[in-house]
Amino acid sequence: MTRPFAMAGAIAGAELRLMLRSRLALVGVATLLLLSGIAAVTSAVQTASASATRAAAQAATDAQFQTQPDRHPHRMVHYGTYALRPVGPLAAFDSGVDAFTGTVLFLEGHRQNSATFGAARESSDLVRFGQLTPAFVLQTLAPLLLVFLGFAAVARERERGSLRALRSHGATAAGILAGKVLALGAVALLAMAPALVALLWSALRHPGEGGIAALIALAYAAYLLVWVIGITAVSALARTAQGALVALIAAWAIITVLVPRAAAGWAGVADPLPTRVDTEFAIAADLRRLGDSHNPDDKYFAAFKARILDRYGVTSTDDLPVNYRGLVAAEGERLTSELFANYAARADAIQRGQSARLQALGVISPALAVRQASMVGAATDLGTHLAFMNRAEAYRYDLIQRLNALQANQVSSADDGARSRDPLADQRTRISADFWKTMPQFHLAAPAPATRATAMLPALGLLGLWLAISALLLALARRTLDRTAE
Amino acid sequence: MTDLKREAWLLGRSRAALAALLLLFLCAAAGVGLGLATVARDTAAIDRMLAGQRTEDAALAGFVRDAGYGAYYGFQPTWDAPSDLAFAALGSRDIAPALLRVRALALEGQIYENEAANPELALPGRFDLAFVVVYLAPLVLIALLHDLWSGEREAGRLHALEATPSARRRIWAPRVAVRVGGVLVALLLPFAIGAAVAGTDPQRALAFAGLIALVCLFWTAVALLVARRGRTSAVNAASLAAIWFALTLVAPAAANLAINAAVAMPDGAALARENREDVHAGWDRPREATMQQFLALYPQHAAGSALPPTFHWKWYFAFQHLGDLHVAETSDAYRSGIARRAELARTTGWLLPPAGLAQAMAALAGTDVAAQLAYQQRIRAYHTRLREFYYDYLFSEKPFGAADLARVPHFDPAGSM
Repeated sequence: MTRPFAMAGAIAGAELRLMLRSRLALVGVATLLLLSGIAAVTSAVQTASASATRAAAQAATDAQFQTQPDRHPHRMVHYGTYALRPVGPLAAFDSGVDAFTGTVLFLEGHRQNSATFGAARESSDLVRFGQLTPAFVLQTLAPLLLVFLGFAAVARERERGSLRALRSHGATAAGILAGKVLALGAVALLAMAPALVALLWSALRHPGEGGIAALIALAYAAYLLVWVIGITAVSALARTAQGALVALIAAWAIITVLVPRAAAGWAGVADPLPTRVDTEFAIAADLRRLGDSHNPDDKYFAAFKARILDRYGVTSTDDLPVNYRGLVAAEGERLTSELFANYAARADAIQRGQSARLQALGVISPALAVRQASMVGAATDLGTHLAFMNRAEAYRYDLIQRLNALQANQVSSADDGARSRDPLADQRTRISADFWKTMPQFHLAAPAPATRATAMLPALGLLGLWLAISALLLALARRTLDRTAE
Repeated sequence: MTDLKREAWLLGRSRAALAALLLLFLCAAAGVGLGLATVARDTAAIDRMLAGQRTEDAALAGFVRDAGYGAYYGFQPTWDAPSDLAFAALGSRDIAPALLRVRALALEGQIYENEAANPELALPGRFDLAFVVVYLAPLVLIALLHDLWSGEREAGRLHALEATPSARRRIWAPRVAVRVGGVLVALLLPFAIGAAVAGTDPQRALAFAGLIALVCLFWTAVALLVARRGRTSAVNAASLAAIWFALTLVAPAAANLAINAAVAMPDGAALARENREDVHAGWDRPREATMQQFLALYPQHAAGSALPPTFHWKWYFAFQHLGDLHVAETSDAYRSGIARRAELARTTGWLLPPAGLAQAMAALAGTDVAAQLAYQQRIRAYHTRLREFYYDYLFSEKPFGAADLARVPHFDPAGSM
């Protein structure tokens, strides 16, 4: 029983010695390690600085809000505040969509703004060639290195006729293939090392992320193992080393470059998202149907007024114990925000549908599957961004309604009605700055590691499927190898 | 001619070569198709906006009472129409908005808005003809040319072939011509159809075709240089793939890192906050001081600048504009930072021909960063016209009603600045 293992080990050792003697292999591995190191360091530095900048900006906007002078509450509704998307805890390893989403969101009354100031729009066109992060190195660069190092592993033996010699020394097809897989797997492990160190470093800075970091590492290990097994199998199946190389480079280009782009293009055209202006128009049209607080004769607000008067048992808004303008403002905000939420939910569903299409195409490209697993794990995926947008909108609504409540309860109705004509009444509508300090602050934590781990499951399942496919391919290679030896 | 025919026949007998060319053709066709679909979607979005705007204008006409209402509630559409070549190189049109509605309020709070888009679709980059040309065509060229000599040597025919009189003219040149020609046809045929559908200006189409040919020429030269060195086919293929990989994927990504590190950008969040602070402080600043500052810029409105003791729109719009001026320098620095990065990237393009040619394609199609910045400048110029239109009404106290809404200046997409 030990003999096949010993044989596989010996073959793996011989293969690794051969790589050590090959200048091309050494240069390739050294280049990858260097790139990986550069990617890890620059990504860590950039992420740390982005994280600090955004935290500082959030603190600054919170401080500015709290130190505003005495004001009419509605002025604070328009003054608004900013929500900044925190950097994902493992973003130094995989920055995901971070560059392609805005990071700063202005929150104000009556309006829903988009997130602005994303890194991609602040960069040259070169950003579209890819961002050098540890995740990019593992997803795209490492497989090609493995192709270069492994394409000839079995094909070379056959071309030189040394396969027969190996067989006569008692090596089985399984033993030979296992040896080659072991050798290439060792290189893959080496290639992963800097990225893994980067991941470990991120996890150390964020205790509690250890488990999810391990899961991400596992996903990449599975992904690279798919490549290692696939490359060995193709090398055994191809008639010549050259044929194996060309086929493997084509497979690499299709899997890591072509399919992800084509899939994104397809998803965008197949399931288009309404533009911002489309949504603005639709919301405006809905509002005109629902009720227009500008219009004194509006039916909806007339009914609203009747309801309020009824509730307080009075006949005129002047007799209300609260400021009716504040109530109208709150009701208007409730109506618009409900529409915002509806349209946002629709847009979110379309975006999630688009991303689900991408994910489904992980069936034809493990690169898509591992990218998804990695982004979800690092909390830098679409879902995390949408969670930020929705959380910020909920915060915005709560803040604006608190301010509207201040207008209803702290500003006298008579003064509020006269403020545009009477400067003294205007002065009296300004309420104490202390109220601003009682407003909650925006805070967002990344989704819990357990939640992210669950969200990674479909992608991990696809990687498992790919492991099975590559294992089948290897079994096929073994049979072919057995047959040719007879 | 017979030499070409023979080589074409030989190429036709290689199933792998035909498959590669067919795949390239299909990808180019798909790229053109997706590009045309994307451009059609953008155009439809612009049309929808212009049609919907009529409803918005009618609604505004229903409650507009004075010029202040028109200026405050009247959002005006601006748009960046895709060029007749945009389908071939979509550039950054997916991450920068092509539609933006602005009003006469401080522009700095409006101009950085983003389009609704799924960032996971932007992450891998666009699938358009430029992508097929820059990324995939070189791989096909490498596959077709890397074993030009080594393949014959490994088959034992090289000596016999080299011994034929004028082998270069009769064998190698036609062989290269047929293979490169196949790649060019696979790329140019879909492009020509796309250009006909999009109604591309012939000269621009020709220039774009020239860029496609340049990409092919560059990679043909690289492939032949490596292939001529006399190594084995596998070593040639590996070396060429490594060169492609370094030039197309790694070096541009590294250059992007270096350029972003070299050119610092003002913090966008701080810029936005600074603008908001100044605009809102306007409510509490002495009103005469605000008007004096404003009149220094617009002395022609001095005569009508007296303020009533209560709120007046002219004061409100005066401090809105001062808020923009307050951050003008930072905003300028922000823009020039992006422009500087784009400029450095263009310089890098001379060292990295694939990146340089991709940039040239986007520039020709008007979809590059420079085009985005130009659109923003058009918005700024239009915003100035819009503001000044309303200043005339506000400061002269001319009545403004529904009929005047028709006089509001419209955005000129062609961009007279």
